[in-house]
Amino acid sequence: MIMKFKFAIIALVMICSHNVMAQSKTIQGVVTDATGQPLPGASINVQGTTNSASTDFDGKYSLKDVKSTDKITFSFVGTISQTITAGNQTSINVKLVESTQSLTEVVVVAYGSQKRSKVTGAISVVGAKEIAAVPITNAESALQGRAAGVTVINGAPGSSPTVSIRGLSTMGNSSPLYVIDGVLTGNLSGLSPNDIETISVLKDASTTALYGSKAFNGVIIVTTKKGKKGAGVLTFNTYIGSQSVSKRYDVMDTTQYLKYAKDLGSDLTARAAEFGNINTNWQDQIFQSGLMQDYNLSFSNGTDTSSSRYSAEILKQEGSIIGTAFERYSFRANNTQTLGKITVGSNVGISFSKTNPERSAGGRTLLEHAIKMAPYLPIYNANNLGGYQGPSTIDGQDSENPVRVANLGSQVINNVSIIGNIFGEYDINKGLKFRSQVSLDYYTSKNHTFVPSFKDGSAHSQGFSTTNEGNQYGQTIVFNNSLQYKTTIADKHNIEAIGMIEKLTGKGQNINAGSRYYISDEIDQLRLQDANLNSSSYEENNLGYIARVNYDYDEKYLVAVSGRRDGSSRFGANNRWGNFYSVALGWNIAKEDFMKNSVFSTLKLRASSGTTGNDRIGNYQYSATLVSNYYYPIAGAAAAGVSTGGAANPDLKWESKNDRNFGLDFGLYDEKFTGAIEYFNNKASDILFQVPLPASVGSANGTQTVNIADVNTNGFELSLGYNDREGDFTWSATANLGTSNNEVISLAPGVTSVLAGPGPRAGLENFSRLEVGQPLFYFYGIETNGIYKNQAEVDAVFGPGQTAIKPGDIRFVDQDGNKTINANDKTNIGNPYPDFTYGLNLTAAYKKFDFNCFITGVQGNDIFNANVFDLQGMQRLFNASTDVIGRSIVANGVVTNPSATLPRALGASQNWASASDRYVEDGSYARLKNITVGYTLNGTTFDKYFSKLRMYVSAQNLITITNYSGLDPEVARADGNANSAGIDLGRYPQPKSVIFGLDVTF
Amino acid sequence: MKKIKYIVLLLSGIFAINSCDTKDLEVKNPNELSPETFFKTEAQVQASVNAAYAHLQTRGLYGRHIFFALDNMSQENKGNPQLEGNKRPFINFTFDAGSDIIQYYWESCFLGISRANFVLDNEAIITALPNSVLTQEKKNKFLGEAHFLRAYYYFLLVNRFGDLPIYTKQTIVGAVRSPKADVYKLITEDFDFASKNLLADSAEQNGRATKEAAYAYLGKVNLYLKKYDEALTALNQVTGYSLESNFFNNFMDETEHGPESVFEVEYDEKLGVGDKWGSDTGGTGSAEATFRGQEYGNLGWYNVYPSDKLLDEYEVGDKRFGDTFYVPGSVYNKGASVMTANNFSTSEGNRRAGWKKYQNYYKRTDENQDSSINFKVMRYSDVLLMKAECENQRASGSQAAAIAYIKIVRDRAGLITTITATKDAVFKAIIHERKVELAGEQVRFDDIMRWGLASTELAGTGFVAGKHELWPIPNRETSSNPNIKGNNPNW
Repeated sequence: MIMKFKFAIIALVMICSHNVMAQSKTIQGVVTDATGQPLPGASINVQGTTNSASTDFDGKYSLKDVKSTDKITFSFVGTISQTITAGNQTSINVKLVESTQSLTEVVVVAYGSQKRSKVTGAISVVGAKEIAAVPITNAESALQGRAAGVTVINGAPGSSPTVSIRGLSTMGNSSPLYVIDGVLTGNLSGLSPNDIETISVLKDASTTALYGSKAFNGVIIVTTKKGKKGAGVLTFNTYIGSQSVSKRYDVMDTTQYLKYAKDLGSDLTARAAEFGNINTNWQDQIFQSGLMQDYNLSFSNGTDTSSSRYSAEILKQEGSIIGTAFERYSFRANNTQTLGKITVGSNVGISFSKTNPERSAGGRTLLEHAIKMAPYLPIYNANNLGGYQGPSTIDGQDSENPVRVANLGSQVINNVSIIGNIFGEYDINKGLKFRSQVSLDYYTSKNHTFVPSFKDGSAHSQGFSTTNEGNQYGQTIVFNNSLQYKTTIADKHNIEAIGMIEKLTGKGQNINAGSRYYISDEIDQLRLQDANLNSSSYEENNLGYIARVNYDYDEKYLVAVSGRRDGSSRFGANNRWGNFYSVALGWNIAKEDFMKNSVFSTLKLRASSGTTGNDRIGNYQYSATLVSNYYYPIAGAAAAGVSTGGAANPDLKWESKNDRNFGLDFGLYDEKFTGAIEYFNNKASDILFQVPLPASVGSANGTQTVNIADVNTNGFELSLGYNDREGDFTWSATANLGTSNNEVISLAPGVTSVLAGPGPRAGLENFSRLEVGQPLFYFYGIETNGIYKNQAEVDAVFGPGQTAIKPGDIRFVDQDGNKTINANDKTNIGNPYPDFTYGLNLTAAYKKFDFNCFITGVQGNDIFNANVFDLQGMQRLFNASTDVIGRSIVANGVVTNPSATLPRALGASQNWASASDRYVEDGSYARLKNITVGYTLNGTTFDKYFSKLRMYVSAQNLITITNYSGLDPEVARADGNANSAGIDLGRYPQPKSVIFGLDVTF
Repeated sequence: MKKIKYIVLLLSGIFAINSCDTKDLEVKNPNELSPETFFKTEAQVQASVNAAYAHLQTRGLYGRHIFFALDNMSQENKGNPQLEGNKRPFINFTFDAGSDIIQYYWESCFLGISRANFVLDNEAIITALPNSVLTQEKKNKFLGEAHFLRAYYYFLLVNRFGDLPIYTKQTIVGAVRSPKADVYKLITEDFDFASKNLLADSAEQNGRATKEAAYAYLGKVNLYLKKYDEALTALNQVTGYSLESNFFNNFMDETEHGPESVFEVEYDEKLGVGDKWGSDTGGTGSAEATFRGQEYGNLGWYNVYPSDKLLDEYEVGDKRFGDTFYVPGSVYNKGASVMTANNFSTSEGNRRAGWKKYQNYYKRTDENQDSSINFKVMRYSDVLLMKAECENQRASGSQAAAIAYIKIVRDRAGLITTITATKDAVFKAIIHERKVELAGEQVRFDDIMRWGLASTELAGTGFVAGKHELWPIPNRETSSNPNIKGNNPNW
């Protein structure tokens, strides 16, 4: 009905316009955005006059009294204005292209919003358009490569990515605080990317200090889409695609493996023949191409006094490793109602998800097993309990059949999360407003694992089924009340102030139980047979008093002051309260009179300083407690033991950080070219440092947590944007680049260094080092310098008589020259931090086609590739890289192939056990993260049914340029821990994916 | 004016709702006990003692590594190809101070010592408890257990590391290394205290340290110190025991705490195994099984096999051979199955034998990572052989008495005893008898060291005299304890 009405009007207008011809004419037309969507409310103005008009709901306008010499300017919020000379045209249709950064754009900040031109801190904004440009499964991914100084690394399907802002300043949890529509939370896992309007990344203390003790690692504020004024809009988005990992490690096939094994003393010829001399490519068996599909439906509506938006999404994703999958059903309802001076509303999201995580056995990843498995073994063997084949003693090795590990039994994690708020606002009087909000962040997580009995060889068997249940819930309720005041005095003095009290209450519980069942594999439930159980719970309370005042003089001189006083139950009485503050200044130079005729549409200098804190130390850390889960069998029962836990520290307090940020924003030629340069220098102090206690004192956790270390972090960020159009061709490019360098300024008194991190494999020494004057967790190990070719070379270093090192072993550099290789010979062998990270985004549209290309990369970082331990370690018989074929071969005490770069097999344990530069590689990469080509169908018969129909094809991670030998240079930190930065333990590689999608607006 | 009133009212309302409860910022940890309120009941005192036992079970000790490390160094074991890279160096003496096995051994022991010290630090509180809460006998025995365990852990340490930091109370400050003699003094005093305060075996629960166990270890320590008279005096207090008529009863799950058992390290998989992989040193959680069965079993991981040198030590007709090793033709699985040569095949060819001692094959066809069989770390046969050694060595001893003790052990093995009653012949007999009786029980390496037999017994293995008698202090300690300077000789 509406459609037909539209056409009728257009037709009428066309007819009318045709007849009016005069000296002074009327010009009509339609103003649309780059994709052809009408823009209502755009303004059309004859330069130098007051003659103006604006577009109606369908983007149409009519401007009277136009002379052919008139220059007409078309402008719209968030787009680049265009000026066209009227000439003899009577109809001018204009496409206004979105500007990357607009002066009038409103930016969401802590507890409010601000005009972009008034922002004085470091904020990066990613909008719905950019989010929609790349099909993503988790909202965090929208930030990757788009916000300077923000890094995002994804893991397995359904897992939360590792996100860090401006590098590292702490040794503990380095992930930022997330705020969804004012609700504080820990990640964005339940949120559909389609529901996001904008994401603001707050990077410096002047923008984050209002979050006080939770703001240390930066804050990511997500604002979800709200209903817009106008007729209801129904949209449907969907995509379907496939993802896979194509890269493989080059490992030996059966023939090569049999020869290698024989060289190592194991003749497996007969054993391989038993299975028909087959060749199983175990890596191919664990990788699969996974189907992804996403369906999203939303409806939004708005009037002068209300707005609402409802959405539902189904996401189904098979992982690129067998057995992994993720499914999410998410729903969101956002509503507001205004009744006179009162506005009430709610924003609520509910999501249900099911994750099948990557399974592991014996503390090893599937990839590790796939590398090490004997290639002559078949995957399945119907004669074995469970149906799989694994190694026996006759195989001389004991890697596990990765297909059995992944597929036998099941592991399912079912999560439910509710995140939302209810708020009310009351306009008390001229600019004074009261707001009250209650928000909830609630989740339950049920983790069910079942493994039936199996025996796939003498190395791996289980004579019973095991069931484990993990049951977790957590809730955080935040109640906050604020008064806001906004006024302008004498037209020039703009003042905005806010005062707030925020109270947070969190609680949660964790229950775990497991049992075995010897009777049957049919029941995957708990039974009272060899059962164990435990539970733990927590409570957390936080109280914050918050104030902020923003002042500006005519938008030229800007001042922002904010402060928060925070009390937290996580700390002892001595340090329960902390104060956080910030001051920021800005100068909009472009608004000065002397800049009036310059090319600069924006030129702003910013400076800020402030403090934030980090309360993420876990609950109850300050209090001395006894550990009550010791057990020892006495007289047939488990006698419970109690003893001292870790060394307590009642003076424990939050880590604090003093940020200084300097920024310059610029925009040229009416924001056609925009950019920002930032410099930051952060001094983090009272960093929680696990002061290592001597092992011999027998402290239960080996360390005492003390606020003692200082870390400095500084860096530059650069963002540039350019928009242009040439006829029907419009394009824009944005680029960003960030650097972040950190340095340990001090550790505990008397402690100049300590080793941390996960170590390359269980039981091997860790090598991530903290040392005063060095970056956090740099790689500390032994340098190598070739291979000992003969006994004389060995003796020249160690002298005669020692038996551990022989020809064919690695020549480690004896830094202190004391004729032994030990801990004193370790040195700096790598830095996990890049010199810079960057992102480059190109968007173009030509007629009905649109195009997006997006490149991200890092430069100059080192990766510790722990997979080399399996690929080239040769510590005992396992399958390995084909590189080991060319290893050093020793005959009569002499290396017969002196050009070999790998040591002898089964050599000195230092060859593989020592963290050495053998494992360290350049981790730089450039990756074509996304390339999308879209086509919008309009002006066709489809218009009857859809107001917009766009189809696109998109490919992700299509091309990666890197020298890194591992499967993926985007190495996720283990459990998000800062201390595993840059260590590739064989984790989930990023797949390549190809997607076909459809965006429909009815 | 009116509006201001409302505003004030509203504001005060908000403050009233929010700020009155700053006391909410005080929260109590619901998951763990508070030290201020502990040591009030018998169960609590007992629990503090129980925790000190738990470190015996760690992977660093009897859960996994101690038997590899010691049986490998003594050359009772040889390694199959699948033997892991951290365990093989103990066969050919190529381990170093970075070894995780050495680190876990060190930490497990010192954690156990610290747990024992937690009890002893609170001795005043425990003794002050009214007798109605805790009887004097119980007070004595709990303190006795703490002393026993502290001494036990220090004994494990001093044999491997020599000079040690001595801790007699809990602290977070690392101590300097005290001379070995001081460590032995503490060990002797602790076992002595334990022997005077612990309950007798007959009155104590299975699994706890007893008066007799304390005497047995007091004897063993003195024997190691070559104080044979003191050793014999202590060992003579180990009464009420006899040898199992069936040797293999010592190594089965069902016959634990039999007449020959003086002290055992306890395992029982039924009590939970969920935390065993994470229990390198910690002792917390459910880690009530040992990996021994799976690791040594020739139908399991078969990481090690009995060396030819050990197998060849057995006399023809020694019944212990068949109870210590499986060979082709051995019956297992409750008599239902017979081992074939294929059961000893490895990728390097067939082995002669596999371990039977501490394996579960007597009742099953396979092993898994959870074995419940306790380690009989002090058997009465060991006591008898130690007594024989004392008699043979001490000034007023008698070779005849020594031979009599040896004969008891050999009789059970079905062997006749014809030993010449000279000191040298009896010593040789003791060397042989301890090697075959206690094979795979982590005593052989200590014996070789204290007898000074490394030059013959460990020849050609990579053992360097003057170096490998002791392990190096692990890196984890030297890097975290500023008071420990240098390392053991030649490390």
